Amino acid sequence: MESTLEANPESEAPQSSIVTATGLERIYGEGEAEVRALDGVDVAFEKGRFTSIMGPSGSGKSTLMHILAGLDKPTTGKVRVDGVEITGLDDGELTQLRRDKLGFVFQFFNLLPVLSAEENILLPLSIARRKPDKAWVDEVIERVGLTDRRTHRPSELSGGQQQRVAVARALVTRPAVLFADEPTGNLDSKASEDVLQLLRGSVDEYDQTVIMVTHEPDAAAHGDRLIALRDGKLVHDAPPVSADAVIELLKTLA
Amino acid sequence: MLSLTFKNLWARKWRSLMTAVAVVFGIALVAGTYVLTDTTNGAFDDIFVKSNEGIDVAITSRAQVEQQDGSTPAFSDKYLKKVEGVDGVKIAAGSLFSQGAILDSEGDSTGGGFAPQFIASELPEALESLEVVEGHRPEKADEVSLDQAAADRSDLKIGDTVQLVGTGKATPFRIVGLTQLGGASFGGTSIAQVLLPQAQKLTGKQGEFDQISVQADPGVSPEELRDRITEVLPKDLRVETGAENAKRSSDDIRESLSFLSIALLAFAAISLFVGSFVIFNVFSITVAQRTREFGMLRTLGAKRGQILRTVLIEGFLIGLVASIVGIVVGIGLAKGLSAVLSAVGADLPTKALVIEPRTIIVSLVIGIGVTLVSSLIPALRSTRVPPIAALSENIVIGGKNRLLLRSIVAALLTVLGIGLIVSVLASGSEGGNAALQMGMGALAVVIAISIFSPKIVRPAASLVGAPLERIGGLTGRLARENSQRNPSRTAVTAAALMIGLALVSFVTIFASGLNSSVTKVIDQDLKGELTLQGPGGFNPISIKAVEAAGKVDGVEDASAISFSQVKVDGGSKSLSSVDPSTINQVMNIEFDDGSPQDLTNLKDGQVIISKDLSDSTGASVGDSISVLSQTGKKPNLTVTGVMASGNLDLLGDLVVTQNEMIRTFGVDTAFFALLKVAPGQDVNTVQKRVEDALDKPFPTADVLNQDELKDSQKQQINGLLAMIYVLLALAVVVSLVGIVVTLILSIYERTRELGMLRAIGMSRRQVKRMVRYEAVITAVLGALAGLILGVIFAFLLGIPLESEGFTLSYPIVTLLFILLLTAVAGVLAAIYPARKAAKLDVLEAVSYE
Repeated sequence: MESTLEANPESEAPQSSIVTATGLERIYGEGEAEVRALDGVDVAFEKGRFTSIMGPSGSGKSTLMHILAGLDKPTTGKVRVDGVEITGLDDGELTQLRRDKLGFVFQFFNLLPVLSAEENILLPLSIARRKPDKAWVDEVIERVGLTDRRTHRPSELSGGQQQRVAVARALVTRPAVLFADEPTGNLDSKASEDVLQLLRGSVDEYDQTVIMVTHEPDAAAHGDRLIALRDGKLVHDAPPVSADAVIELLKTLA
Repeated sequence: MLSLTFKNLWARKWRSLMTAVAVVFGIALVAGTYVLTDTTNGAFDDIFVKSNEGIDVAITSRAQVEQQDGSTPAFSDKYLKKVEGVDGVKIAAGSLFSQGAILDSEGDSTGGGFAPQFIASELPEALESLEVVEGHRPEKADEVSLDQAAADRSDLKIGDTVQLVGTGKATPFRIVGLTQLGGASFGGTSIAQVLLPQAQKLTGKQGEFDQISVQADPGVSPEELRDRITEVLPKDLRVETGAENAKRSSDDIRESLSFLSIALLAFAAISLFVGSFVIFNVFSITVAQRTREFGMLRTLGAKRGQILRTVLIEGFLIGLVASIVGIVVGIGLAKGLSAVLSAVGADLPTKALVIEPRTIIVSLVIGIGVTLVSSLIPALRSTRVPPIAALSENIVIGGKNRLLLRSIVAALLTVLGIGLIVSVLASGSEGGNAALQMGMGALAVVIAISIFSPKIVRPAASLVGAPLERIGGLTGRLARENSQRNPSRTAVTAAALMIGLALVSFVTIFASGLNSSVTKVIDQDLKGELTLQGPGGFNPISIKAVEAAGKVDGVEDASAISFSQVKVDGGSKSLSSVDPSTINQVMNIEFDDGSPQDLTNLKDGQVIISKDLSDSTGASVGDSISVLSQTGKKPNLTVTGVMASGNLDLLGDLVVTQNEMIRTFGVDTAFFALLKVAPGQDVNTVQKRVEDALDKPFPTADVLNQDELKDSQKQQINGLLAMIYVLLALAVVVSLVGIVVTLILSIYERTRELGMLRAIGMSRRQVKRMVRYEAVITAVLGALAGLILGVIFAFLLGIPLESEGFTLSYPIVTLLFILLLTAVAGVLAAIYPARKAAKLDVLEAVSYE
């Protein structure tokens, strides 16, 4: 079960794209109640870039991220992550994919209350029964500013600190893609800024690929690229200019 | 609000059903017990009413002292003349109805297990209640009629031969008729009828009757005739109308069977007690999970009382459904119980199941009551939810500040429980009351432990979880942490299991102690290498069989020992008789005052008593004590020795000569006999010779060497143990259901957490393993606590029995096996929750709120 997923040499995507989605449709329900959460989305994400996904409620932004991360399956269309076609994988293969290639940061931190900060950070490695790279672990913990909080339990940490633990947990496996689902949705502005700086830094310093869903213009402004969805369709794809410009963009979408 | 309750229940129907299961088993056992005993009693009523048909007045003897087999002494046939002389008697006849053995021509018994077999005499047509369904009544000395059920059981037909064994040699009879009692069932009991003189000869009651039956002249009422007959007969004969006799016989049976329903109801109570832990846990967790909902209801204007009511109504409805299901299951169980009883040899008579309104009412009241009481504390907690809970993420209610109260209550209960136990030990009292007090003490300790156990859970789980962490790494670690996360939840779940396991280990240790004590007594105190006993060791054997065994080549001595219940100072005591000339060759009896030589010197009119009896009556050597025999005689016997205690009371409280036993106490059969093999003779060869010598004339006598005797004793103990295990299994299963429900609820609570774990790479297998380990930790915690408690209780209860020669022994291997079995049960309990946890959709789990 420890077999790693190998990249498909016949990859059609350009070399620089680490995640590609083609012809994504996701339909919930049937007949009258049919909802087209995604209605024909084609999108590719380049390695080492920080992309924000925005859109009003029901635009399909969360669905898109879930499908890219293999948490949900598209009705039609294909997703390729780091050269692996993921839409046909079974649960075991998806688990392996998450161990090898994906990192997650959630809105509600989702730390294990019974483990210390450091244990939470090492959790993906323990689950996969891999030996941690001591130097890298120390560097990640140092980088998220938790060196003096290693032994603290989540309940002894502030919300911002908890989310930094979550970011460290996502970085510790050096994933091909880091998915962040509203990572600042539960934080005050100071803590939000810290977390966003961390994500930005991971892209700049470690060439990390980050895909983040957010509804906060400030957050989106930290990215290299902003894509926006509306009614399940991709309606905007450009580098963000400023938070104010993002607010204007959202107004036109709403 | 009521419709909300219904909707809530429906939305959580699986959880509610699982909760109900906690009560269903207990209620099923309650209802099943009632149905079983009502049905059995009803069947006996049928038997006695039918067997008294045509009989206006019945004359029997009064047993002055109740005997263990319930028999009454026979009385002289001279009274028949007196009865016949009474004005208004149309017909009167004496009859016999005594326990004996009915064997087919191969020597195999026609009955099953403990069910008695009766040798009866034929009555005149007018008074006879058994109807002939095939053939005819016995008319000649060598003819017998057999009840049809017994004949069917043993595949006997008219013309076949059966052997009847009473107090003498086996005698062959030819079956000429098959009978039945108006379609009534006898269970495993069989009846053989022969002519009166033959019956008297077989049962050793020459010139005696067990009963005189009378039919009145037309116009004379049974009551009137009863009164007239009473006047001419001595007081020790009981004169009743047929209806009175039937009623008294039924009542006697009811009373002697009541131990069965008491025992079964005790197990039902244990199961319900365990179930109440499960219900408490489920409601606690449910209330905690619905904190937000309660807060929301409060913001909408719901009063505390309304919140309380919704939770309690849920409890009521669950209790109601559980009770109804329990009653239905119980009715089925009644049949099952009866099958279990007949499997262990107690084949009770049956008829169509009797379901009294009382059965339904009691079951409903108990089922609903237990559920309501168990849900009361969680329900009260729900009323403390503030409206703000509707808005905030995690509000924890109740708990912390009550630690002091908890500790005080737990400490008080422990003191009370141990006090009760110690006071029983100190007072040295014995019997049912002492056991009840001890039971209450044990119960108090159990409750105290359950209250205090949340404090113990953390360190204990670390201990139990350590090996799992070593094997399972992270999953083991997380499982352990999860079990410690909510200590009171784990504690209650484990405590439920603890109760069952404490009882299981207690009876296991106790039975093992009993086995080893019996073995010890056989090894040390029985010098006779061979034992002669009746079928199953319960039925008497003929003195003649003992005499015949004594004549076999290689047998040096054959010493018969008989028993009878007598009364001393109004208390029922067990009296034995020995053969003074041989008893010291076959048995090793120690004396407190005197020596074994006193046994050899024992004369008629003398008695040797136990230390216990000497202590309680103050009688010592040289004193004279008055003993009431079953036949109503009141001899004064001179004490010539006092036996030491400590050999399981092999000879009871009083020992007299064989002659005295026959003459004064009316027992002319042996309960068992010990044979001393002559020096230099091979025991097995002699055993074979004795068997051969007795086989034809005394087919019911068994010859056992010491190993076989130990085995037969062990078999009896283990048979009883097996039945207790089956009944305790109910309580254990209930507590396992508790583990299942608690796990499911915990998984539900941790949905998001599980989703995260899956998202960062935990496989389904790992999730399953984690849940399984948690179940194992809880199960082993409960089992360990139960084992420790069981050992302590067995130790405490063993102390007062030590003086009677009871020594505890700890079956370590068995106990470890029980521990292992519980761990496996934990794994089984985790199957469904683990599957549920592994199936959790990662996406749903992450986006779950």
